[in-house]
Amino acid sequence: MQHFWDRPLSWGTAGIFVASAIGVLGFVIFFVTYAIYFERKFIGWMQYRQGPNRTGPLGLLQSVADVAKLLFKEDTIPKKADRGLFILAPVLAFVPSFAVLAFIPYTLELQFADLNVGFLYYIALSGITTIAIVVAGWASNNKYSLLGGMRSAAQMISYEVPLVMSVVGVVMMTGSLNLREIVIAQSGYFWEWNFLPQILGFVIFLIAAVSELNRTPFDLPEAESELVAGYHVEYSGFRFAFFMLTEYIYVYAIACLTTILFLGGWNPPIPQLDFVPGILWFFLKFSVIVFFLFWIRATFPRLRVDQLMGMAWKVLLPLAILNIFLTAIGIELMG
Amino acid sequence: MLNFNVEFTGEFVAFFLLSVCAIVGAVMAINFTKVVHTALSIAFTFIAIAGLYVLLEAEFIAFVQVLLYVGAITILMIFGIMMTKHDGEGQEQTRPLLETLSAIGCICLFGILFYGIRNANFPAESAPFTEDNTREIGMQLFTQYAIPFELVSVLLTVAFVGAVALAKREEEPQ
Repeated sequence: MQHFWDRPLSWGTAGIFVASAIGVLGFVIFFVTYAIYFERKFIGWMQYRQGPNRTGPLGLLQSVADVAKLLFKEDTIPKKADRGLFILAPVLAFVPSFAVLAFIPYTLELQFADLNVGFLYYIALSGITTIAIVVAGWASNNKYSLLGGMRSAAQMISYEVPLVMSVVGVVMMTGSLNLREIVIAQSGYFWEWNFLPQILGFVIFLIAAVSELNRTPFDLPEAESELVAGYHVEYSGFRFAFFMLTEYIYVYAIACLTTILFLGGWNPPIPQLDFVPGILWFFLKFSVIVFFLFWIRATFPRLRVDQLMGMAWKVLLPLAILNIFLTAIGIELMG
Repeated sequence: MLNFNVEFTGEFVAFFLLSVCAIVGAVMAINFTKVVHTALSIAFTFIAIAGLYVLLEAEFIAFVQVLLYVGAITILMIFGIMMTKHDGEGQEQTRPLLETLSAIGCICLFGILFYGIRNANFPAESAPFTEDNTREIGMQLFTQYAIPFELVSVLLTVAFVGAVALAKREEEPQ
């Protein structure tokens, strides 16, 4: 898309920008609809129950019905809430989550923006969503929301550090922050993908990523049994839907990032399988990661706040630093 | 001095929008009375400035700016604000004479800056522009500027240890 940048802005090129953004939005909303459906189905299956099965064939229209319900719901704003910020917060949460999707290279050709700092872009923008969550908690003027917002800020700041540090090993092995180059450096057999040489970094990345997503076992900002619903207690209707959408778009983004950074992106596991299009490999690995996230949610109990913070600063951070040292030694010894 | 012959490329439109955003954010930060609103508008300005860095093809600085200023500093500010009570917030009394004087001062400052910028003569680029400037920053930091870089790290470590010591001391009197 770079060549559109230098030309005079005409209605045609502006149209292309808008159309591709709408295309991505449509695809992501489709993903979110069925991610929620499969999440409920998988968790039902793991907990020995049916999951949604009434609306449409096999319950396939359940998420559509849920979204329709949310859109028609009465939109309530608490009387003592900070009205402006209460309205702004869902938008502020959603916009960065969507902007994050611009940098993901699905295949060698299919990418919207080729940034040479790809990974930092994700981390930087997800920080803006944290602000939105804190603001949502504060603007609601409700003690549970405020507690949820506080926990969210503390958790996001703490886990961002090991998340960034765990990727440093990958960046050192590639010599670039560009996501496309990281994938190209992993071409070959599947043991050349980063998840084996960087196994420590991979594990840290996964744990920190689940925490950044605010999902069980790290879902303290919205712990139902303690905080009612955390930062979005007071939200209803489409504003609540925006928070849900944001959360699932980040699931999408993290699954894409894990695929790119550690699982070889669009590369097939063995070069002989080259005839299968790269985008299929990408989405296959992507689905495995998404499934993994659902699996964790169905099987782990929630941590306590102090355990959560201790985990980030006393376990993950030293391990991430150790990983950087080991990678440096490895590069020095093996060239 | 006043001939703005500009071409409407995508870059110019982006520059215009981002500058307006940065200025609006700064103005709002001064005008809001609630502290949380002020902190948020400062964050808005930071994001717009990061956008300007992207336009200048300094992506690394842009995203580190968002990561640190928006992701960390603003959140800490909001955190601190939320932890404390603010009952005494409200409109200050207006002081017409002071406001007129400061308005005149601002207009003079704007005039000087405008004159200076329009008359400035930018010399041609001195350093060769590299495509992969993130790598270039890394190379410079760890070769030519290694000692200042290490000194900054030591400074940060000292601040860190100091913060821990301060936080520890408050617990003792119990």
